Amino acid sequence: MYRTAARRLLGAGFTTSRLLRLPKPRPTTTIIPYSYCTSSMESPIGNQSVNPNQSDPTAAREEGHRRDESRKPRAEFQEEQARVLAASLRHVPRLGWTEEAMIAGSREVGVSPSIVGSFSRKEAALVEYFMDECLQLLIDRVDSGLDLQNLIPSERVSKLVRIRLEMQIPYMSKWPQALSIQAHPVNVPTSFKQRAMLVDEIWHTVGDGASDLDWYVKRTVLGGVYSATEIYMLTDDSPAEYRDTWAFLDDRVKDAFDLKKSIQEAKYFAQDIGAGVGKSFQGLMNGVMQTMSTRGGRSSAF
Amino acid sequence: MALRSISRRFGSRVLSYRSSSVASLHSHATSFGFQQVKEEEKSKLVGNVFTNVASSYDIMNDVMSGGLHRLWKERLVGKLSPFAGMKHLDVAGGTGDVAFRIFDAVNSVKRRALRKVDEDSLEETQIYVCDINPNMLNVGKQRAAERGLGDNKALVWVEGDAEALSFDDNSMDGYTIAFGIRNVTHIEKALAEAYRVLKRGGRFLCLELSHVDIPVFKDVYDLYSFKVIPNLGELIAGDRESYQYLVESVRRFPPQEKFATMIADAGFEKVEYENLVGGVVAIHSAIKL
Repeated sequence: MYRTAARRLLGAGFTTSRLLRLPKPRPTTTIIPYSYCTSSMESPIGNQSVNPNQSDPTAAREEGHRRDESRKPRAEFQEEQARVLAASLRHVPRLGWTEEAMIAGSREVGVSPSIVGSFSRKEAALVEYFMDECLQLLIDRVDSGLDLQNLIPSERVSKLVRIRLEMQIPYMSKWPQALSIQAHPVNVPTSFKQRAMLVDEIWHTVGDGASDLDWYVKRTVLGGVYSATEIYMLTDDSPAEYRDTWAFLDDRVKDAFDLKKSIQEAKYFAQDIGAGVGKSFQGLMNGVMQTMSTRGGRSSAF
Repeated sequence: MALRSISRRFGSRVLSYRSSSVASLHSHATSFGFQQVKEEEKSKLVGNVFTNVASSYDIMNDVMSGGLHRLWKERLVGKLSPFAGMKHLDVAGGTGDVAFRIFDAVNSVKRRALRKVDEDSLEETQIYVCDINPNMLNVGKQRAAERGLGDNKALVWVEGDAEALSFDDNSMDGYTIAFGIRNVTHIEKALAEAYRVLKRGGRFLCLELSHVDIPVFKDVYDLYSFKVIPNLGELIAGDRESYQYLVESVRRFPPQEKFATMIADAGFEKVEYENLVGGVVAIHSAIKL
């Protein structure tokens, strides 16, 4: 919940991918050159105290020239990576979530395909980028005035999940591959986080006022509903754009809401029974005690 | 030890300026192992070293690293992630270890099967192997012939200097230099050349012996380097001096962070390094954007 709040404060431009920087499996360190930092960038990590001017005159001249070139806007490599990934998405329906799609994407952008080698966990990077983009699109749709006022909570949830799943329709033929990539042990932490954020966002939009244990239960349940619907969608060839999937979704959401009610009811029922049984047990015990005392009394009279 | 070497360097520089003629005032001293030599001499001395070791270079690599150098090179090529239609330059790659691995990676069965899908890469893969020493190149060409790749147009053997490459600007998708950059007299020039020949999005990868910081292991490594390796050099290659030079040049090479800063200063982005075997070897990688 705090993440969605932070996102709203910082505006729609704050992509979620920045929140998902996971530690790399092997210890690598990144250096950002101090000489190329403009005043707007934050201070870099690493050894900034090295003065490049201690190289010989020709090198310094070259560097001065290059520094002039760098004053025109340089694409940060992250932006460049994002551009390559965005272009690669267009090739996914044909080539799948693979390196080939990323190579084709990089060619489209005009960058050497070698850049693909620098993505950690290559295909996973593409899938994760797509998941982030979809979440961002969902948030944008919600922000730009999606009408949820007239709907009851279960219908709101249905609608949001439907909007999100519809974004996957163009890639449906290759979606099983994406799911298997996400299920890879190496990729599970990221994919889990992304789904958690998605579910969190949906509940937040629906108007969640929960606290403590209920917060986790709600998100887990919705996570389950979402995943079930997603998988159902893979094998759904009903006419009129996945009509069966949406029916399935509505049923599951209703079940989830009913489940909540039924848990409440079960709790009360158990309490009642407990009370009833307790009372009758007490009555029984009292009866037994009385009988024993009167009998005891009578016997002592002999 | 670092202070001693710095004072030694300043001391020798002062001496050389005092006693030198006008012409040699312009030449700086540089390191050849732990010795101080004039810059022009360094490349000649390095040339001599590699002419001497060329024939037993591969055997010595195996013996010195216990066969690990193969794994390191595999990791380097894995990081590069080669693709069909790639133009790659392997500098100081005389005997062709890295080049052969890249060639195999591109032409493996899996890749060939997938090549059908990517119709855009009608261009052929080209792997250029550049080395300053013709003897090393000859050994490489021989090994290629042994593998049946003697006539293969994909592998091109070029004699050249890392500080002044004969390739066009923005012509290479990948640039690797494995165990070669510490032999270069002006590392910044080699990095600048690498930056020049790489295309936008091209990757720079450097595999090099580097500095170990782990306490006990460092001493073991030092002992091994200075006591065992020159003796092995004498025993197997019959050349103690060359291998003495080798271990000294490793110590003189800048540590990982400093080298990474130098790469960044050359204009590269996303400079990273990965230590293997606790820092005995480091792979530095970067992208040109």
